Amino acid sequence: MADRILKKENLGKLVASVNGKGGRFIAPVLDARQVVFKDVARAEDIVSDYILARNSYKEYVFPQTEVVADFTVEKHGVDLKSREVEARETVVLGARPCEATSLSSLRAIFTWDYIDEFYTKREDTLVVITVACTKADEACFCTTVGLSPETKTGSDVYLLETESGDYIVETMTEKGKAFVERHKAAFTEGGAKAKALVMPEKIGTIDLNKVGARLKDKSHYDDQVWARLTRKCIGCGACTFVCPTCHCFDITDEGTAFAGERRKNWDACQYDTFTLHASGHNPRHYQYQRWRNRFMCKFNFYPEKFASKGCVGCGRCIRVCPVRLDITEVMEEFSR
Amino acid sequence: MEERLRKKAKELLESGEVKVVIGYGWNRQKTRTSPVFITDAAEVDRLVWNPLCVNNLSIYLTRKFKDIQALGRPAIVAKGCDIRNIVVLITEAQFKREDVYILGMACEGTVYRQELWKGELKPEIMPTKCHNCDVRNPHLADFVVGEKSSFTPPEAPAGMVFDKIKAIDAMGQAGKWAFWINEFSRCIKCYACRQVCSLCYCERCITEKNMPQWIETSAHPRGNLSWNLTRAMHLVGRCTFCGECERACPVNIPLNLVNQKMIQVVKDAFDFRSGYDEKTHPPMIVFSPDDKDDFIK
Repeated sequence: MADRILKKENLGKLVASVNGKGGRFIAPVLDARQVVFKDVARAEDIVSDYILARNSYKEYVFPQTEVVADFTVEKHGVDLKSREVEARETVVLGARPCEATSLSSLRAIFTWDYIDEFYTKREDTLVVITVACTKADEACFCTTVGLSPETKTGSDVYLLETESGDYIVETMTEKGKAFVERHKAAFTEGGAKAKALVMPEKIGTIDLNKVGARLKDKSHYDDQVWARLTRKCIGCGACTFVCPTCHCFDITDEGTAFAGERRKNWDACQYDTFTLHASGHNPRHYQYQRWRNRFMCKFNFYPEKFASKGCVGCGRCIRVCPVRLDITEVMEEFSR
Repeated sequence: MEERLRKKAKELLESGEVKVVIGYGWNRQKTRTSPVFITDAAEVDRLVWNPLCVNNLSIYLTRKFKDIQALGRPAIVAKGCDIRNIVVLITEAQFKREDVYILGMACEGTVYRQELWKGELKPEIMPTKCHNCDVRNPHLADFVVGEKSSFTPPEAPAGMVFDKIKAIDAMGQAGKWAFWINEFSRCIKCYACRQVCSLCYCERCITEKNMPQWIETSAHPRGNLSWNLTRAMHLVGRCTFCGECERACPVNIPLNLVNQKMIQVVKDAFDFRSGYDEKTHPPMIVFSPDDKDDFIK
């Protein structure tokens, strides 16, 4: 059977087709010496030699900042008008198999006790086109959390790079099939040889079951191990902002005393104000306690509440950390 | 040098002169260094010293890190550039000179782009600050580790940062504005620049004061501009050009350009360079009756 192929020279056709039908095409491009997911108008801008984009594509379903309502203060009280999300076909090309699994994690939280339409409407129209990895670096640890470049869950369309720079196309979901159908002029049929995938080595000293069990047993909570391993954390939000599963946000009002907008902005559990009470008390007084929370969220709260993963092993948090705090070193400690 | 450092650290911990040694250790793969806090003399072998020791560990001396202060008197492994920050912290009364034991490291430069490190310190992988460094021999230390460096910095500061500042200065007002709006547009408000900076020691940053909200926390062009400008202004006359903020920035905003420009302005206006003398107060916090401007009198 002939494979469906997306030829390198047809990428332009695909970009034009998506943008021409009112959609949005997101792909990795070079920006300020980094590979970043951005809106793409020309296929020539798309880069293919990268490990992971610097940012997670979550910002296209969960923007870093967005207006959720407008308000005016009138004599009779406050007028609050909710904003509607105008979702349109949004195509992300070049996601990696690890991060493709993160959408189900985000969906789990945004539909858990309340359906957050600002998220769901966008995700409903998002098409994730994954390109399997032919490169990895020392921060990659997908195989340690039970994923691999061969993981297809979460991808609507799964691509394998070929030696000539084309892609072998496999549609994974109805959404993916519909996408290929809608833009079929960009696809051809043929046969090609896929490049070998690169698997990061599984970290043998980590056992996720043991990590989970240890975290469930609440005796770890005041264990000095947290301070010992993570007191170097400086409390920036870089790890959470590049993380494909971190999802916390803050609501803030901007404008004048008489009119303005209500915004939903990314927030991070690593900030000391995150849990600061109005009384002045902070239950997470020290930075290592805030770090503990992020770890707990990923390896205890998430597995307990949802079927999806809290951590997909993309390694972005390790690469971006100014003090090189490596989450896998903590996983290792909790596997003992 | 590493052995000398470990030996001294061991002595200090065993004698009880310090309770914790703040230094550098390896990550698991031994490809990057990461801060370590040694409280047990038996663990001094975790300390390492090499050109990958980029972090400015002086942040851990600030009041943001109460759990580290609770450990007791610290010794800190510090390069000359890091010591400049310690000096500023002392002049700003954050702690007294005797509150910290400085293990000054004679330094031949650090590696800015760590992915290019192949075991040899070449000029092209070193940051601008190292090319112009006049504190390779620690200027304030309780104990100096390493051979005296014979490096002399160039007469006129040179390097990428200085070249870019000249280029931006020539851009004109509209050009400069466009340049910075574009650079700041990438800001994701993660505040890594603030958190990694030992001179950003406020316990409640102005961005966190929300009654009223002085600085918009949204990562939109307005919020990004106000945050980055505010932080720059708060570092005038204080910043030592250690480069940590730019190194920490996950979106590559060239913060070194902002900070070095400020340093040049302060040098021209006050003939002052921060971080050299722990007994001289920075120009922004002193008043002199001989001030040439009279609006303040």
